[in-house]
Amino acid sequence: MKKSALVFLVLFLAAAFVFAGGTQEKKTGKVKITGPVTIKFWHAMGGSRIDLIQGIVNDFMQANPNIKVKVQYTGTYNDTLNKVKAASKAGNAPQIFQSYDIATLGLAHSGIITPIGDLTKWDPIKWDDFFTPVRNYYTISGKHYSLPFNSSTPLLYYNKTFFKQAGLDPTKPPATFNSVIELSRKLKASSLKLKAPITWNLHSWYFEQFHCLMNAPFVNENNGRGGKLPNKALFNLEPGQKILSWWSGMEKDGLFLDVGPGWANHRAAFGSGDVAMVMSSTSDVNQLTGLLNKKGWEMGTGYMPKPEGATGGVAIGGGSLWITNNHPDQELLAALKLVKFISSDGPQMKWHKGTGYFPVRKTAMNKLKAEGWFKEHPNFLTAFNQLLASPSNNNTAGALMGPFPEARKFIQDAIQKTYAGTPVKQALDEAAAKTDKAMKEWNEFYK
Amino acid sequence: MESYFKSKWLPYLLLSPTLIILAFFLFYPAFETFLLSFYKVAPYGNRKIFAGLFNFKQMFSDKDYIYSFTLSLIFSVTVVLAGLTVSLLIALLLNQKIKGARVYRSLLIWPYALSPAVSGAIFRFLFNPANGYMGYFTKVLFNIEPKWLTNGNLAFVVVIVAATWKNLGYNIIFYLAGLQNVQKEALESAAIDGAGAVRRFRAITFPLLSPTTFFLLVMNIIYSYFASFGLIDVLTEGGPANATNILIYRLYRDFFVNSRVGYAAAESFILFVLVVGITILQFKTTGKKVYYQ
Repeated sequence: MKKSALVFLVLFLAAAFVFAGGTQEKKTGKVKITGPVTIKFWHAMGGSRIDLIQGIVNDFMQANPNIKVKVQYTGTYNDTLNKVKAASKAGNAPQIFQSYDIATLGLAHSGIITPIGDLTKWDPIKWDDFFTPVRNYYTISGKHYSLPFNSSTPLLYYNKTFFKQAGLDPTKPPATFNSVIELSRKLKASSLKLKAPITWNLHSWYFEQFHCLMNAPFVNENNGRGGKLPNKALFNLEPGQKILSWWSGMEKDGLFLDVGPGWANHRAAFGSGDVAMVMSSTSDVNQLTGLLNKKGWEMGTGYMPKPEGATGGVAIGGGSLWITNNHPDQELLAALKLVKFISSDGPQMKWHKGTGYFPVRKTAMNKLKAEGWFKEHPNFLTAFNQLLASPSNNNTAGALMGPFPEARKFIQDAIQKTYAGTPVKQALDEAAAKTDKAMKEWNEFYK
Repeated sequence: MESYFKSKWLPYLLLSPTLIILAFFLFYPAFETFLLSFYKVAPYGNRKIFAGLFNFKQMFSDKDYIYSFTLSLIFSVTVVLAGLTVSLLIALLLNQKIKGARVYRSLLIWPYALSPAVSGAIFRFLFNPANGYMGYFTKVLFNIEPKWLTNGNLAFVVVIVAATWKNLGYNIIFYLAGLQNVQKEALESAAIDGAGAVRRFRAITFPLLSPTTFFLLVMNIIYSYFASFGLIDVLTEGGPANATNILIYRLYRDFFVNSRVGYAAAESFILFVLVVGITILQFKTTGKKVYYQ
């Protein structure tokens, strides 16, 4: 059995060599889709989004009768990545898959993907149409690796009715750290029966975004975007300490409700009127508006609060579409055509309306504006304006590092430790030391 | 023991399907895992570096791992003791001739039919920090709202209770079956001799149940070490601040989330050795005290 496997491997490698040689030559030339081509597309968007994506893909197949796409919902981002990994090893990876933002550096080095920038000579993509922050996130040292798809940022949601009842101005959500505390104190002192005035779920994402707002790097090597692999965490420095002191200080003063991890509890607390303000993803606009409407309350939105004097802006999070490698050129071209189609105006507008994720192109946004969509849905406009107000640099593009999922866990542990009484600096130093170690170990593979 | 089979080979032939399946799906992967534990493997498997005992050294020099190790031990002991005691008590109650005993039995065995994720979800409804029922009840009754899942110690208690509850049905079935095999004659004659209920239980019922208890002990230890990960994933994700991060959950995260394949292989090897070790120890010690009728 071992022997036959070896023989197979040798044959396979020999074949791969021949094909690889061929591909290299062909990539510079023109590729055309001659016969029917079938490609696979795996994504991580559950619920009603499954049908939405299928609908967009159906439109694509109608426009390109030569290309057949098999769409498959493969569970969470993490599940999807694990399945892609396994499929790659077995040699039947999907041509396209969706991944979350924080896997970007890992995938770029994974040896299983084709950077989109390497394929666009066959069918160019107008990158200038994309929103700069959206585009920047998935670009490393000037190269486009994946195609931005579902993009979101944090947003502050508040209960206007509660604001009125507490005698606050319902048109003015808190914009800074201090004003969050000030308004929270007033809400807490009011007759409203709140568990606490504000909450958001336990997630490192907010901690990362606050760094972007402060225009502070999260890791070294130009926030991981300078071409060299980052090996030192910087989130335990002054900006990080300032953020966490504010955050866990509010928890200690009973201004912040600790709802733990996951994406359900903080929404539920806001919907049931246990809190007056919540931070969550911009893709929650529809859901949270619905929850408050049910109770007859009015919802408002505001930018993510910044520390006083901060000059940065939010970074784009969410997911993007990756193309794998080791496929015939025609399949790669078909994959490129599909991701390009998904990012075009029509599907992006459909996607935005159905989910609340940003359209990734400025052109799509302008069309939505012309339609009057934002007049009817002003809360979506807050999210956009917040994104557009964000300056473009390595810090606001968001950090990249190899073991990002691991680092997030360390940071979340640190946050919970401060709730339980560990000093902020000590908790962050510990998380940073662990992250450094994880990065060092990870980087060793790619020296 | 006398053989039931005429041919010497027949028993092996009959065992072979199981053994072949075990070999492919259990022994071979276990062996591969053992080999992997000596390597550092890149997250997408495209690089593999021989690292000797690096992963093991790393593991035992990590304070968090040692913490999880201790936590697992406490978790296991508590879940097994609480599980066996409570289920034996319930089984004793169920073994009486009361109206509707069958209904009670079915209801009490029910939790076992739920998947870990579902029972996790049920406990999350109960103890949810935002709007859980438990928080509401304690608020109404005592005007306090304990941080069930966001305080480390309480979260650990909730996870233990949930894990115990989840396996209760399984234990009850076996105890109930065991109790129904206890000879009525022995109990009756003891009663005539003037032995009270407690005495009868200690001198007759409990010893006669010892094979069941021993079997359940082994099964529950395996359960507490391996099967509670779904529950923890849904309830606490190992938090707050590692307070419920037992070995099996840490292993899951290291492999499926952090993609540290070699390290996770080393962890699973240690977990395997640990549970096998405990089981052998039990056969050598407790196992000898078991009274088979």
